[in-house]
Amino acid sequence: MADAAGEELKARVLEYLAKVDKAKSHDIAQVLKEKKPLVDAAVRELAREDKVEFLYIGTSYVKLKGK
Amino acid sequence: MAESRTPLLDELEKGPWPSFITDMKKLAQRKPAVQDALGQLEMSYRDKKGHWKHGGIVGVRGYGGGVIGRYSDVGNVFPNVAEFHTMRVNQPSGWFYTTEKLRQLCDIWEAYGSGLTNFHGSTGDIILLGTVTQNLQPAFDALSEAGFDLGGSGSDLRTPSACVGPARCEWACIDTLELCHDVTNTFQDELHRPMWPYKFKIKVAGCPNDCAAAVARADLSVIGTWRDSIRIDQEAVREYADGGLDVGRAVVHKCPTGALSWDAEKKELGLKAEECNRCMHCINMMPRALRPGVERGATILIGGKATILQTAFLSWVIVPFMKLEPPYEEFKDLLRRIWEWWDENAKTRERVGELIYRKGMREFLKAVGLPPAPQMVFRPRANPYYFWWSEELEGNGHKEQG
Repeated sequence: MADAAGEELKARVLEYLAKVDKAKSHDIAQVLKEKKPLVDAAVRELAREDKVEFLYIGTSYVKLKGK
Repeated sequence: MAESRTPLLDELEKGPWPSFITDMKKLAQRKPAVQDALGQLEMSYRDKKGHWKHGGIVGVRGYGGGVIGRYSDVGNVFPNVAEFHTMRVNQPSGWFYTTEKLRQLCDIWEAYGSGLTNFHGSTGDIILLGTVTQNLQPAFDALSEAGFDLGGSGSDLRTPSACVGPARCEWACIDTLELCHDVTNTFQDELHRPMWPYKFKIKVAGCPNDCAAAVARADLSVIGTWRDSIRIDQEAVREYADGGLDVGRAVVHKCPTGALSWDAEKKELGLKAEECNRCMHCINMMPRALRPGVERGATILIGGKATILQTAFLSWVIVPFMKLEPPYEEFKDLLRRIWEWWDENAKTRERVGELIYRKGMREFLKAVGLPPAPQMVFRPRANPYYFWWSEELEGNGHKEQG
């Protein structure tokens, strides 16, 4: 169960992904000035909630589901 | 007689060996996707280029790994393979199945896929070849119901694999199957959600024969070994000698470190245990006479695999000996530290071995908290810890030192 801070970070991740076509988790962490493991956890949770998906083009990216 | 639609593929059926083309033709009679796959393959042979596009978005809910998108670039000609995705299914350790489980797997793939399978892919996964996007989730649900999970693909932990180890091999120094199973279960998130710079492979071999080919194929290799001395049964050695084995020429003279000696008169094998580098040659030559030692564990190596940004690497030793017993916390903690450093520092598509090559082993060791050891040799028979003085080299007009 994600806590309030987790929910806030998830919302910020979604907000960022809405602005870009695709992103690596590492890049999301840098832009949001958050630690990579926290962003990983947020993305993981968002994937389980079916809000983001993974794109593979030579390496894996995260993107908003259906965008 | 009608003209064949696959004349080039037909050539592959003419040898004495079993042909995958023959099998595909049989399957094609009831699976239109396989019929079109044959047609596209014939076209690829004719054009001398592949017609599969790579990558894209395909997955099942919550997962990013385990499904590989395959789209045809000639889907207008072969509509039944316009989408032909691959599912990677995590194999059981040691690849042991009951016939019931194999039938379940095949029934699932008959229902949701092309019926084509590959047992097993190079990482060991069960490979289910060819399905459409809308069938992925139901196929995954059916696989889950049968007790199977997906393996890794993309920039994640790839499905850990191991040799059959103690299940079928007397030389296994560690329980490869248990370790592989434990690591797979512990790192489910790393396996299913690709969030790293690139792929990371773990392979476990039970002894230095390395039947898993871990040193060449894995980013992190675990090689079972022993810390004490090879055990010698001198009576059995004599039986080999009496049976015609030239122990001196075939065994002792081929010991790469000169650890072995042979008294031909007494027919006795000598060993300097501290010189042995665990190459396994003597044990493989005289399996009834020689056995690994009793104090067993594993050597941990890093950085193997043909890479994109640099060149092909064999793994380097980073831990000469680790005991490796359940719950394997020392090993798992090391893995986490390695991943953290790699994830923090690597460029996109840079494997951990390339990162170490770029930044240096010294920096890597400091970051993950490992002490340097003499066993950390960059290339076999190239010792970075000792450099000869020029006057010691033969041909420089100086006498060679003893």
